[in-house]
Amino acid sequence: MTTSTTPTGPSAATDTSAATAAVRKPVARRRVALHLGALAALLVMLYPLAWLLATSLKPADEVIASLDLLPGSLEWSNYSTALDGVNDVSVWRLLSNSLLIAGGAVVGNVLSCSLAAYAFARLRFRFRGPLFAFMIATIMLPHHAVLIPQYIIFNQLGMVNTYWPLILPKFLATEAFFVFLIVQFMRGLPRELEEAARIDGCGPFRSFFLVILPLTRPALITTAIFTFIWTWNDFFTQLIYLFSPEKFTLTLALRSFVDASSTSAFGPMFAMSVIALLPIVLFFLAFQRFLVEGMANSGIKG
Amino acid sequence: MPGNRTRKSWRSRIAAATALLVSCSLLTACSGPDGAGGDGGKVVLRYTWWGNPDRAARTQEAVDLFEKKHPEIEVQTSFSGYDAYKQKLATQAAGGDAPDVMQLDYRMIDQYASGGVLLDFAEQRSVLDTGEFDAGLLATGKVDGKQYAIPQARGTETVVYDTAQWKKSGVTLPREGWTWSEWADAMRELAERTGKPGATDPGQSEDAFEVWLRGRGKSLYTEDRRLGFTVDDLTHWWTFADKLRREGAVSPAEQTTQLDGTVENTPLGRGRAISDSNWDAPSSGFVALVPDGVTLAPMPSGEDGTPGQYFKPSMFMGVAADAGHPEESVQLVDFMLNDPDAAKILGATRGIPVNETLRESIAPGLKDFDRTVYDYQASLEGDLDAPPQAPPSGDSALQTTFQRDYDQVSYERMSPREAAEDYVTEAKAELRS
Amino acid sequence: MTTTTDTPVTAPAARTTPAKRPGGRQREGAAWVFLSPWVLGAAVLTLLPMAVSLYLSFTDYDLFNPPRWVGLRNYTQMFTEDPRYWRSVGATLTYVVIAVPLQLGIALVVALGLKSMRRGRGFYRSAFYAPSLLGASMSIALVWRALFNDGGTVDNLLGTGGWVNRPGWALFAVALLTVWQFGAPMVIFLAGLQQIPTELYEAASVDGASRWRQFLSITVPMLSPVIFFNLVLQTIQAFQVFTPAFAVSGGKGGPADSTLFYTLYLYDRGFVASHMGYASAMAWVLLIVIGAVTAVLFRTSRTWVFYASEGDR
Repeated sequence: MTTSTTPTGPSAATDTSAATAAVRKPVARRRVALHLGALAALLVMLYPLAWLLATSLKPADEVIASLDLLPGSLEWSNYSTALDGVNDVSVWRLLSNSLLIAGGAVVGNVLSCSLAAYAFARLRFRFRGPLFAFMIATIMLPHHAVLIPQYIIFNQLGMVNTYWPLILPKFLATEAFFVFLIVQFMRGLPRELEEAARIDGCGPFRSFFLVILPLTRPALITTAIFTFIWTWNDFFTQLIYLFSPEKFTLTLALRSFVDASSTSAFGPMFAMSVIALLPIVLFFLAFQRFLVEGMANSGIKG
Repeated sequence: MPGNRTRKSWRSRIAAATALLVSCSLLTACSGPDGAGGDGGKVVLRYTWWGNPDRAARTQEAVDLFEKKHPEIEVQTSFSGYDAYKQKLATQAAGGDAPDVMQLDYRMIDQYASGGVLLDFAEQRSVLDTGEFDAGLLATGKVDGKQYAIPQARGTETVVYDTAQWKKSGVTLPREGWTWSEWADAMRELAERTGKPGATDPGQSEDAFEVWLRGRGKSLYTEDRRLGFTVDDLTHWWTFADKLRREGAVSPAEQTTQLDGTVENTPLGRGRAISDSNWDAPSSGFVALVPDGVTLAPMPSGEDGTPGQYFKPSMFMGVAADAGHPEESVQLVDFMLNDPDAAKILGATRGIPVNETLRESIAPGLKDFDRTVYDYQASLEGDLDAPPQAPPSGDSALQTTFQRDYDQVSYERMSPREAAEDYVTEAKAELRS
Repeated sequence: MTTTTDTPVTAPAARTTPAKRPGGRQREGAAWVFLSPWVLGAAVLTLLPMAVSLYLSFTDYDLFNPPRWVGLRNYTQMFTEDPRYWRSVGATLTYVVIAVPLQLGIALVVALGLKSMRRGRGFYRSAFYAPSLLGASMSIALVWRALFNDGGTVDNLLGTGGWVNRPGWALFAVALLTVWQFGAPMVIFLAGLQQIPTELYEAASVDGASRWRQFLSITVPMLSPVIFFNLVLQTIQAFQVFTPAFAVSGGKGGPADSTLFYTLYLYDRGFVASHMGYASAMAWVLLIVIGAVTAVLFRTSRTWVFYASEGDR
């Protein structure tokens, strides 16, 4: 296994738009090799996912004990059990709860993190260095250590068993990961952009919205994608702050199929995890396109 | 509780700081609606438990019935799997937000009671009837003489085995009153004749150790909450298990380490052993995993026939000390434990009820594995000693220490004595605090 | 959000940096407006809980009774009396050293490969990201255990025996789970590559620079802020690795404490054993260690990270 970060061979061929007609033949061969390599890597990488899918159709006695990929017989009832939902709460309700939380989190993170990032990356203010250091430090403390104080705060604010503890922090840019991410992208933009905008009469607000934000679109799309997926999968926070089953999410319901003190239902749990996976797959498929298109339309080509 | 007031004040200091910071900032408009608010002047109770979706469905049905009988009360229910539940409840309790009515485990009682989280049921004596409860079992919910928790159901340990494979091997079947050395011989013979280990390595299980220890007339903890055994006792037990494992009579370390509390990940559940020692009700999971079915047999006794196993409350109900409506909360507890209609709905989903009349009344209706568990418990009725009182607070830490220390033995990184010394040192430190 | 703009923007190299910017006071006010959500969140939801946990680290706090001041006892106990603590430190360092370079290396190689593809880019990108959609859920943990068990797929193919159930190997199985989910750094690399203006390559081609030359003198420096970001964040996250190990080992960090990573042990102390004071002390020691490592990374970044906004010095 290689640990080197230096790309080798075909990967180094980063040029996509330059005129390369002169060397067409080796390029074609190189492309075939690239595709073959990628497909082979995918075969290995996607095997565990195939396993997950196959297991969701296995009967109970095969789920753990059997080490074969394919089920001995197809157990569709895993899916019907999972689709029944949990404790009178339908799967659709769970789904829409998850969507609400993840959607709110996306809006919150993209808005608040880009605002904060703009200040850190491109504006000057007192204590910028120490505040930036503090922001980075907030991701260094394991979250288990602040869980109880945070719970007390949200309890005092009367927000336990609402979606506020899951969404509000995102509107307040508490995820330094994304602030830092966007900062790095904004610092990558030439300073002249704002100078030009200023000469055109833009203040910091207009140049933020009109110049900087569009150019950081890859970072914003990345923020949106990660926020959606990570919020979706964030079992722990949902567990702590949500009480009523009708407010539960798919991720929470998923876990309730496994209870060590009584009979677990691993088959339906796998089925449920496939069901819970579908929305984030769709979300990713829908948004990943923008990762590329973002730049092509942005006009930096000049 | 004397600690109660200080506990509140330290939390209220955080609250004050919160208020200060929030009001300092200009954005005070973000306080959300209170989720626990009642409607139409109804008394609203929050009730939480752990369990699987089946238990959830039946519990909800019983709660619906309670609401029908008490139209003035609304019950909000919530549940999760055991591990998640434990953490959630601890966070809620630490945050001063414990639910009104909660399901509790044996190991939680001492901690929650001494932390001032639980209500002394004596304060609501008129609402709760415990006349039908076995005194010994009821006493397990007491701390310092006060009844903080009421046992809801009982369970006991069992040697659960693959019926067909054990019978086919020709090894003598387990019987009540068999001893640990007879058990060890049976494991060796099973391994020899079937080619599979006879059982899960019992060395990692604090529960199995307790059964063995009680068979020798000792206990995990003394009544004044100190350690009830010595380094020598534990060394003896781990040497016993270590030897069997080296002989191949019980599961190897590579199998034992995968135990996570679910039956699916036991060697028996994976088809890698003939038997397992487990609690009776959760063993129902084996039915789907072992093709030809399983049988429940009693745990081995001490060499002089002293039974080590006991009827242990598999779960309790408790009420929060600061519950807004203590009387109604205790009413719900009484309903769940004593109401015949509720018992009919709940059946044995929480284990065999502790209420003796109800236990008999639901018996005819029990089916399948519930019936098996009921019969198994009935076969032991009257033969077992009274259960010990709830374990002291440090026990939840020690349970994992027990597994970790034995892991060191089974992976041959420590000798049984070294591991036992490590455990006892840590146990003494835990129990002191 | 605005998605298009017609603002005319010229190629970065074409302009010279103007002199000092005027209007500092006004800009400072604007900065605080941009920062206001963050300030509120940082004060109430971050700083206050952090202060509480720092206080708790000097106390004996069991979650149920009021915290009792014990001074430095938690810290001294950690360093001098707790062999399991040091085992968890060892496991965590090993994990960081294995998982971070491997995950970042693979993510970068795949991202560069994807960028050079003309067809099927969307397909490959999605497929390579797919494992990362799962997180470290219960079900993926069970799949992982099945694959890396004795008699599992990996054992059958490589004849190595089980990984998850042997102390010397389990850590690699957990690290592989992280490496397998390299989607996040990959997407960030891809986003960074998208931000590199294509005319830089065009100009270099005209000058006759080789591909390798272009990679070293354009791709690496232009991507360096993003490489730096991934390096810092993945290092921080690796020090705090929790979920994969928790899921794969069923919360125990086994076998024989071999995957008992720092935060796993912290969780065990805080929530299983109810020693929240001790757990808080552990958290602060970790913060200081990660802080030191990050500070070193930031310091070295001055020599190799290039920010277009700071000109090409």
